Amino acid sequence: MECNVKSEFGYDLLELSGEVDLQFSPQLREKILGSLKTGNPLLIDLAKVSYIDSSGIASLVEGFQTAKTSKLQYGLLNISNTAMQVLTLTRLDKIFDLYSSIDQFKQKLQ
Amino acid sequence: MTAVEKILVYQFPACAEQMGSVRHKLREALAHSGQPEAVVNHVVLAVGEACMNIIQHAYGPSDKGDILLEVEWQFAEAGGNGGNGGNERRELVFRLTDFAKHKTCAEQMRSRPLDEIRPGGLGCHIINEVMDKVVLLERQVGCGNVLELRKRL
Repeated sequence: MECNVKSEFGYDLLELSGEVDLQFSPQLREKILGSLKTGNPLLIDLAKVSYIDSSGIASLVEGFQTAKTSKLQYGLLNISNTAMQVLTLTRLDKIFDLYSSIDQFKQKLQ
Repeated sequence: MTAVEKILVYQFPACAEQMGSVRHKLREALAHSGQPEAVVNHVVLAVGEACMNIIQHAYGPSDKGDILLEVEWQFAEAGGNGGNGGNERRELVFRLTDFAKHKTCAEQMRSRPLDEIRPGGLGCHIINEVMDKVVLLERQVGCGNVLELRKRL
């Protein structure tokens, strides 16, 4: 798994790639919560995620809850097919804000 | 009559670092199953969730040991005409044996309500959603648990 956070103008973009499982989900959790601590909205790009299990999903959910409590925008971008299959299985596709472009997310910030 | 074809026997240490190679072995074993990619993805995910439950809950932080993963096809005549003219039921059976001191009970394998939005607790839901049958079997010898997952295809 690779997980990089970029500070953009007015929000953070977390680019996630590879396999997100029990071995790597603590690292993802740390990156998500660390980014939200700065007080920036967070967009997580899942385009290059080839596998994600419930531990990875748990990190995304924890971020969602933290963002909600802190009243910060939080969204998932360009979700790969495999990640979408897991979100659908867990019905979380109805809970998260899903975006197909960065511009869509930026519009939400205005 | 049920015919059995074993396609994988793999024993590995129960730890998070092993999960990548477990998925790789499973994908290799299922590569010629003729199943759509989405089905293979779901099955690999569900077996991964079951392994994760064993690592986190059966062994937990204070116990160590292996997981034995066995995968087999079971072919059974579905009855009716008594012939073999395509009237056959095919099931993929995944058997996960652990050797933990902790005895898992069926109660622990229930998923949480999905309308409770909180981290964790989704593994059992995924397993139950993907598989047609999930059974905790009695281990005949020694300690540990045997979990059997069945997927009709």
